[in-house]
Amino acid sequence: MSLKRVLITKKFEFSASHRYWREEWSEEKNNEVFGLCTSPYGHGHNYELHVSVTGAIDPKTGMIINLSDLKKYVNKVVREFDHKYLNVDTPYFMESIPTTENIAGVLFRRIDEELRDKGDFRLQRIRLYERKDLYVDVWREDK
Amino acid sequence: MNLKTSFSRVYSFSAAHRLHSSLLSDEQNINVYEKCNNPSGHGHDYFLEVSLVGEPDKKTGMIFSLSEMDRKINEFLLRLEHKHLDYEVPYFKEHISTGENIVRYLWNELSELFPPDMLYHIKLWETNNNYFECGVDV
Repeated sequence: MSLKRVLITKKFEFSASHRYWREEWSEEKNNEVFGLCTSPYGHGHNYELHVSVTGAIDPKTGMIINLSDLKKYVNKVVREFDHKYLNVDTPYFMESIPTTENIAGVLFRRIDEELRDKGDFRLQRIRLYERKDLYVDVWREDK
Repeated sequence: MNLKTSFSRVYSFSAAHRLHSSLLSDEQNINVYEKCNNPSGHGHDYFLEVSLVGEPDKKTGMIFSLSEMDRKINEFLLRLEHKHLDYEVPYFKEHISTGENIVRYLWNELSELFPPDMLYHIKLWETNNNYFECGVDV
């Protein structure tokens, strides 16, 4: 059996508010689709983000990536989201709704950018918990 | 870069069962299943993680309606909620109610509730220390 891949994962947290609302829809339709998430001034969560990196294990350090470097790269992205109203204070949700799916998609692309060309590793997967009972995974498809 | 996205929710149900195989002698059953063979049964608070895969809809930002997913799954889980699986769920008259068989049963039943190929992964926690998985990439 060949070893496919080693992943290293670090957890991060941020707190943010959001609102699900489509301007072109009636209030009734917004409420029907988004329920409580339409509340007019937004509501918030303590998000938990798991960032998983894969790559070659450096024979000198025994590491795929130095965790303090990973922390530095990812925190640059997390700071854009922490203690923000995602609809208003970030540029990512002008057109799309800041659902957990969409937030995770943005986080993957932003973290992938920050890690690019920094070493012999790459972002493989993230998991974003909105609450303990609701989470989204985004991962790079091989091939 | 080709990305995939899955959306997961955690559900729970509480049920009783007993591990006992009609193909084994009483003595063999005790040796294989140990305390899980207790004649009067025992129970667990099961936790079930259900993952759907797909593209988030451009308008709603969702892979599948969260409220509809909750409704479908919670309605289904009523078949197991506060039941003795071996006596009250027909599938387990023919199958031993191990975590392996429960997760297979749930996979088959839950995949019927969603569009084809949308159910991606399920993980059934029997206790805090053991879980069973079934899914596309397992």
